[in-house]
Amino acid sequence: MPDKSSIWDKPLWTVLTKDLTCEFRSRQALGSLGMFALITLACVSMSLGGAVLEPQLAAALLWVVLFFAAMAGLARSFVQEQETGTLFTLRLYASAPAVFFGKLMFNLVLLMGLTAMILPLFVILLNVDVLLPEVLLLTVLLGNLGIGTVSTLTAAMLTRAQGKGALFTVLTFPVLLPQFLSAVSVTTQALNGAFTGYRELLFMAGYDGLMLAAAMLLFDILWQD
Amino acid sequence: MTSVYVDIENISRNFSGRTVLHNINGQASPGECLVLTGRNGAGKSTLLKIVAGLLRPDAGMIRFRRGERELDVEERRRCIGMVSPEVVWYKNLSGRENLRFVARLRGRKDAARELNTYLSRVGLGTDSDRRVGEYSTGMVQRLRFAALLLLQAPVWLLDEPSANLDLVGKAMVEGLVDGSPAGPHHFNGDQ
Repeated sequence: MPDKSSIWDKPLWTVLTKDLTCEFRSRQALGSLGMFALITLACVSMSLGGAVLEPQLAAALLWVVLFFAAMAGLARSFVQEQETGTLFTLRLYASAPAVFFGKLMFNLVLLMGLTAMILPLFVILLNVDVLLPEVLLLTVLLGNLGIGTVSTLTAAMLTRAQGKGALFTVLTFPVLLPQFLSAVSVTTQALNGAFTGYRELLFMAGYDGLMLAAAMLLFDILWQD
Repeated sequence: MTSVYVDIENISRNFSGRTVLHNINGQASPGECLVLTGRNGAGKSTLLKIVAGLLRPDAGMIRFRRGERELDVEERRRCIGMVSPEVVWYKNLSGRENLRFVARLRGRKDAARELNTYLSRVGLGTDSDRRVGEYSTGMVQRLRFAALLLLQAPVWLLDEPSANLDLVGKAMVEGLVDGSPAGPHHFNGDQ
């Protein structure tokens, strides 16, 4: 009978802790994400040669780095299961919600870790002032939730496809575009201190909720097939 | 151990236009051992995957029931224990960690206390903390049997159960199948 004594024994946490343990021991996704982000920021910083970026340009740059770094690493959550053959084992033993939420949590942990690394470097290397850090933090949280949800679903869809890397980005970007544009807009306001973007934040939260609901429904079908 | 009946009704499956299974029927009752034989590519593994719910048939239906009550997808999944070459373990985890992982996925937190018993029973007692990436193919197969025992599933699906096992391992498999608790066993061997 299922034991309900500890939340950490719930299947979704079991999937998450398994993924974190495997990642900690192999460092594949974290390496891809971290190196991409570091190299991009370093390149941009050296190209600018100390010049100060306009808030809108800096905001767009931050989200481009976050998005493409995520694209470099998040697909691994399912691709690796498929490539190593463990997807069959996971399908045999785990339910669809446990896998979806476990993988989503893992991707969110990676994204938040990546963000925690990128943001200070972004401020230091690109000489950016953040006038409303709490707004930036909220925007990053909502943006990452959207990226994580859409990436988890797209990665699951592409497990049987050829050319996964290219397809992953091509499929994920159009779905994330509305979220991306809102995130850039609110981040611009967080950098220049003139915040009026309540509607954009509300849109981002609604978008995340909608994507989460759609992903839960679609993932169940994907998992059964 | 609750009695589970498995009904296989008119199962058909094609791959790229080639018919692999056509109108397969059968029934397995508690304590019964159903043996599938056939040449390579005959569809034995395909039928086991369909019974496990990992592959959709093109036609037909698999029913799991307790008496007259048909089990839903989640109940059915929890009824199945499978040994198959396609059950691949996580190479970065130890044998014990892999077993704990599947036990927790099936909601068997209490099984953690029984891990040593089952790992020793399949001959992996001293290797349980080594990563699976360091295991031989025979040890990997033994770990599949440890998971089968640990989960105490009423339905066993055994695809090439003695593959990669030495003589001692093959005797262990025979002992497990002969002395298993009441439940249908779907036994698959090439012939």
